[in-house]
This record gives sequence, C-alpha cells and structure tokens, in this order.
Amino acid sequence: MKADYLTKIMDKVDAFPSIPGSAVRLLELVDQADAPIDEIEEVLRLDPGLTANVLKLTNSAFFGLPAKVGSVKRAVMLLGLNKLKQLIMASCVNAVMDKDIPGYDLPAGELWRHSIAVSVAAEGLVRELNLDSGDDIFTAALLHDVGKLVLGQFIDEDYAALAAAAGNSVSFEIAEKEVLGTDHAEVGARILEHWALPDALVHAVRWHHNPENAEEVHPSTDIVHVANMLCLMLGIGVGREGLQYQPSPVVTRRLGLKPFHLEKLASQTIQTMGDLADVFINSETA
Amino acid sequence: MRHVAVVADMKLGQKGDILVTHALGSCLGLMVYDPQAQVGGLLHAMLPMSKINPEKAAANPYMFVDTGVPNLFKEIYKLGGDKKRLVVKAAGCGQPLGKNEIFKIGERNFTVLKKLLWKNNVLLEASDVGGPSGRTVHFDISTGEVQISSNGAVNPL
Repeated sequence: MKADYLTKIMDKVDAFPSIPGSAVRLLELVDQADAPIDEIEEVLRLDPGLTANVLKLTNSAFFGLPAKVGSVKRAVMLLGLNKLKQLIMASCVNAVMDKDIPGYDLPAGELWRHSIAVSVAAEGLVRELNLDSGDDIFTAALLHDVGKLVLGQFIDEDYAALAAAAGNSVSFEIAEKEVLGTDHAEVGARILEHWALPDALVHAVRWHHNPENAEEVHPSTDIVHVANMLCLMLGIGVGREGLQYQPSPVVTRRLGLKPFHLEKLASQTIQTMGDLADVFINSETA
Repeated sequence: MRHVAVVADMKLGQKGDILVTHALGSCLGLMVYDPQAQVGGLLHAMLPMSKINPEKAAANPYMFVDTGVPNLFKEIYKLGGDKKRLVVKAAGCGQPLGKNEIFKIGERNFTVLKKLLWKNNVLLEASDVGGPSGRTVHFDISTGEVQISSNGAVNPL
C-alpha cells in the first residue's frame, strides 16, 4: 500500500509544473553583478501576468511607497534588485499556490497567504536575532510547503489512516511518512530539485519540520522551522491537522530564541500581513 | 448579519447576528453573552500581555488578552449588557506538540484570561482550549449558542 502511494506521489512530482521560463531568466538577470535593467524590463514585458503581479505587490501598503508605481523600472529604482527578486518569486509562487488544498483542508489562497506570512516572519526573525542567513531566506520560506500541493490529494483519500497514525501526539509529517511513505517536506524538496534551485533552498524545504535530523546545520532551515510554527499558531494556513507539529528544542537553543522574541515577531507579522491585505483580496477576485 | 473577527480583532452582535472567527491556533477566542439583552461579543486575541508592545496595544487593544478582555466587557456594557448576567466561554489557546516553553503562547493566553476573570469575579462557563487543534467559532447572538468546528467535526460549547 505504502509503496503504491509512493510511486503515485513521485509520478505527480515528476509531472509537477516547472517554474515559468521567464522567471528563471529573470532570476538569472537579477543575480548578475551588474544587472541589466533594460533586459529585465524586456523579459517582463513579454509576461504581462507576471508584470501585473509584481506591480500589485510593489504597490501594496507593505512597501509604503508614496505614489503608485506603474513601471518595472521605477519599481527597481525604489525597491532595489533584491526586493524585485522576492517579488518575482512571490508572483510565480502565487500562480501555483493560489488554489484550495484538499487533505489539509486549506481554502483557495490560504497556502499562498501562509507562504507569504512565513517569509515575512522569517525575515523578521533574521532581523530580530541579528542572523546572517543570506538572501535566500525569503524564497526558502515562500516555498517550504510546496509539497502540500502534491500530497494533499493523497491525504484526502486516506485521511482516517493519517488521523489514526497521528493520534494525539505524533507529529503530522511523521504520520504522512508512515501512511504514504513520504512527507510534504520531502515532496517539496524533490520539486525544488526538479526546478534546479540552489541546495540551501532544497535543504530548508526538506528539513523544515525536523532540522535537527539534517546532517548539516543551515541557519535558514532553522529560521523557516520557527517562522512556520509561529504562523500556524497565529492561524495563518492552519489546516485540518491543526498545530500537530513539534517545534525543535535543538533549533530554539541554536538560535538563542526566547519567548519575547516569538511574541514580538507575532505582533510584527500580523501587522505586516495587514499591510499586505489588499494583495490577497485582489488575488482572490482576480 | 454575519460578522467575522479576524486576528487581533473583536466583533459585537445583537439579536439576529452571527459572530464568527476562523482558525484559532494559539490565539484566544472569547465569547461573552447577555441572554436577557441578547447582546454579545467575540474577541480573537493573539498574545497574553501588552507590555511586549505597548504602542500596538494603544492602537489595537484586541491584539492582547490583558487589554482585549477588559475592552470587550466595556463594549458589552455599552450595548446594555449586565455583568451579573454575562455568560463567558473560551476557545483556542492551542499549542504545538512537545514541551517547548517558548511556543506555549496558547497556555500563557489562557492563564492571563483566568487571572483576569478571577480578579473580577467572573465565572468561565465553558471552555474548549489547549491541545494541537485548530478551531473555528460560530456564535449565534439570538440564542447564545456557540459551535466549535475542529478537524472536520462540529460540536456545541
């Protein structure tokens, strides 16, 4: 049974949509030492959907820009290339994640809202703890649950078995592994490998529920782990399995995390999500 | 009318209204009802103590239990609610698995609520709190009935 599931799940991973070609090209351009703005604009011009999404995010209250921005060039001038990179990733992720997820019982848009919230919380945590996690923390956080898109339908088919395996005290990703032979973190990591994304991102997605089991220690993985737990506790993207995951004591020790850090981060994250609210409303009606 | 309290929010209702709050994780959902005046309020507070961010508490008292609960009671009194008649119920305050103190925001939320109610001589009529469940609350102000939806099941509180 478990082997049957695993074969079917990995077939779905192989068939999972690839990241849009324009996004790959744009991320390459943004990463160049002397990024060619004209060329970036040209690629975006050919992808109106992506451009519209980038501008919608640019104009959200989150960035607090004094006037509406109508061009990509202006957005880059005001926000910088690193933010542009984040906006491109967020727009791409929106395209794949903005749907309802069976099994976890997440309504349409909720997984995307969760992904953005975890990214916001992860960046907040980096600032709060003065960590050096590199530029990729936003993207790692954004993509951590992409595996749920594949695993959801299998969970839906056999929820009773999942619930029985999880009981009251087993972390839900362990129950996934027991019933389905894999879990949403591993499935997500496989998808990122297909997309040929950097190893650090794959690591953060693969180990986001149990970073202490990874051979290598990556600060970005620890940060995504904590940011994800916090957003679930705040009810953002909390599915049928509720809070049935286990925060790692090893990680909280490694990060030097204290209760006031988490509570401060909670209030900041909710405020930022409020500033982004118009983005989510638009995405639901679009 | 149906009114939805989001995170760090409070909604009041009168006869004919349904108050709803979705996806309580570690946050506190507090339902306060006067059966005679048929008025009620639903608070969705996320953190126990406002001292973590007094500025935010001044701007939005409903973010915190220690400032949100007194404000909710005051608003109910303004609608004609009487302290002697109020029926108070709590939901949420959940937490992830394990014993990690840092993540026990839900438990701290419930502790602060109990202290506040005790100090003010208010009885907690019923509660569905703790554990790893996510909970959604439907509060019918015509009848005072509270329904908790969790993990695919709906139960009265």
